[in-house]
Amino acid sequence: MPKTKKPRVALVIGSGSVKCAAALGLWKSLDRAGIPIDMLVGCSGGSLYASTMSLGFTLDECIQYTARLWNKDVTLKRNWNGILGAVFPSLFNFGDTFGMVSDKLMLGRLNQVYGEKTFADTKIPLTIMATDFYSGEMVTLAEGKLVDAIRASIAIPFVWSAHKVGGRTLIDGSASNPMPVDVAIKEGAEVILAMGFQSPLPTQVKSISRYAFHINGIMTNSLYHSNFAFHNAAHHAEIIPIFPEFDRPIRLFDTDQIPYVLDQGEKATEAQIPYIRKLLNI
Amino acid sequence: MKKRLSIVIGSGSILCAASLGLMRALKREGIQVDMSVGCSGGSLYAASIALGWDTETAQSLTVDLYKTDIVEGYTHNLRAAMAGEARFTEASGLVDDKVMLDRLAAAFGEKTFDDTIMPLYVVVTELYSGEAVVFSSGKIVDVTRASSAIPMVFPPVKIGDKLLVDGAVSNPLPIDVAIKEGSDVILAMGFELPTRKRMNSYAAVTSHFNNLYMNNILKSSFAFYNAAHHAELIPVLPAFDRPIGGFDHHQLPYIIEQGERAAAEQIPYLKRLLAESS
Amino acid sequence: MEITITPGKIDVLAVSGTIDALTAAEITASFNKHIHDGHPDVVADFSNVEFMSSAGLRAILASVKEARAAGGDFRLACPQPAIDKLLKMAGFHNIVKIFPTVQDALASFGD
Repeated sequence: MPKTKKPRVALVIGSGSVKCAAALGLWKSLDRAGIPIDMLVGCSGGSLYASTMSLGFTLDECIQYTARLWNKDVTLKRNWNGILGAVFPSLFNFGDTFGMVSDKLMLGRLNQVYGEKTFADTKIPLTIMATDFYSGEMVTLAEGKLVDAIRASIAIPFVWSAHKVGGRTLIDGSASNPMPVDVAIKEGAEVILAMGFQSPLPTQVKSISRYAFHINGIMTNSLYHSNFAFHNAAHHAEIIPIFPEFDRPIRLFDTDQIPYVLDQGEKATEAQIPYIRKLLNI
Repeated sequence: MKKRLSIVIGSGSILCAASLGLMRALKREGIQVDMSVGCSGGSLYAASIALGWDTETAQSLTVDLYKTDIVEGYTHNLRAAMAGEARFTEASGLVDDKVMLDRLAAAFGEKTFDDTIMPLYVVVTELYSGEAVVFSSGKIVDVTRASSAIPMVFPPVKIGDKLLVDGAVSNPLPIDVAIKEGSDVILAMGFELPTRKRMNSYAAVTSHFNNLYMNNILKSSFAFYNAAHHAELIPVLPAFDRPIGGFDHHQLPYIIEQGERAAAEQIPYLKRLLAESS
Repeated sequence: MEITITPGKIDVLAVSGTIDALTAAEITASFNKHIHDGHPDVVADFSNVEFMSSAGLRAILASVKEARAAGGDFRLACPQPAIDKLLKMAGFHNIVKIFPTVQDALASFGD
């Protein structure tokens, strides 16, 4: 690393639904240590937090806004048409892009927080990951309306339907790149703080849709591991992994655990602060 | 010192029969393999290589598997499971695996990993943790059956205290096993699974999602293995100019031929590599 | 960071301290020198490694490849839980033989 120029620092927040709130704990810790972030990349649940941080809101505002976005009302409203369509495809018009949870409330809340804001309004450069629903290729979003990019990035298979952005049908970024460290590398970051999470796996499966969801979780984890392994082995940038530890299972809709999650994120970051400081000479 | 040559056959259900073409090409050139690794559909062929079968035997014993009767009852059982009429748990599958087990038993009988003439490794996924498990002992029927337990379609298999499914869910082209167990040159035959343009059922969306994820896992793990291996890793990637369904039994001669063609392209380089002393 | 060598039928190289961007070059150089001094089989004792970053992982990977290219193998022993977790995440358990004790690692070369 050249000593003359200050290395560019990127924060990558991987997919992890509710667990992504740990990014706010990370931010708290960096803020206290006076470590600035030059670039933000978010995937799936991580895109919510990356977007809010990039708009320059204060930490308290971020906590408040994101709590409004991801809570039990938003995550539990069933999409009965989608569910019945899965059982009786011909009667209920089963489409390619069905989801089990209605996205009306989610979109409404996203609009309340981000409104018409676009990537051009961010104070810190932001990239959001999504996946092309048909080809499975990763898609990086760095322009357009934030609401659309976030909605696409969190389109968790089987839960929320796919979302159309600029003529492409997009789903959850975690289907192609659950912790997009490579995006930060491509954009020229030298020090990358990578916050990633394992998908939760249940210990019991009681229905076929749960089974499909379980297999999906396994595959997301496999992809997360193989991506991380490759980025570590292949790139020159310094990747500092920040993996918060949780002593209890945190499931997709456990939004009441957010304060605990945030604390764990802060704790995991604290452990890395001395090394980050050494690298940045601060 | 002689270079150690490993062969790795990835998941791809019926497409894995292309490895018969690869075996044919290697045999013609008199190239000896030292280690065999397989996953999912590829585990059947990896096992037949490790058992020292000639290509004809492997072909006659394995190609029968992919007749549609091994998935009989799928549509009916899916409807019942979706409607909640039939119980579906982590131990369930939509298809009775008796036909498949009979066919595997007819091929491998009581053979175990001890009967192989070279080290054999088969990758399976542990259902609860989602972690890859590498088998190097046990009955070949049980392990290959577990490795080919396509999620939701075939029931997982219990071996010891572990409930196991398709290796493709964690490690579709397990080159890492060949690296870890000591190989110089690695021939890796992998397959991208078909994704769909239109879907009109839950089953179609599920299989589309699964294939899309597995393809992405294949690509990213392949990238890592390339970066991690100290010697040469030669991909053998058969190309198919037509869509091939999971049970297109009549396409088998074409699949094998494409496997042989893809292998033939790499043979000159492989021979040069093996001739060079390490 | 410090490397202590315990000679034997197979030498044990014990690393203590941190393996990161600030120490990576030195570690690769020491390991590679040892490997090319006629010791392609190596056991790395990780019990006193406190911290590893991606630069550290790459340094170790480079030595693993070096040992194998020289006809030997590089095996790892007793990483602390936090380091072990990172090694798992970074795919090292898939490609490198890792053992709970130095004795196990040494014995594995008898195969």
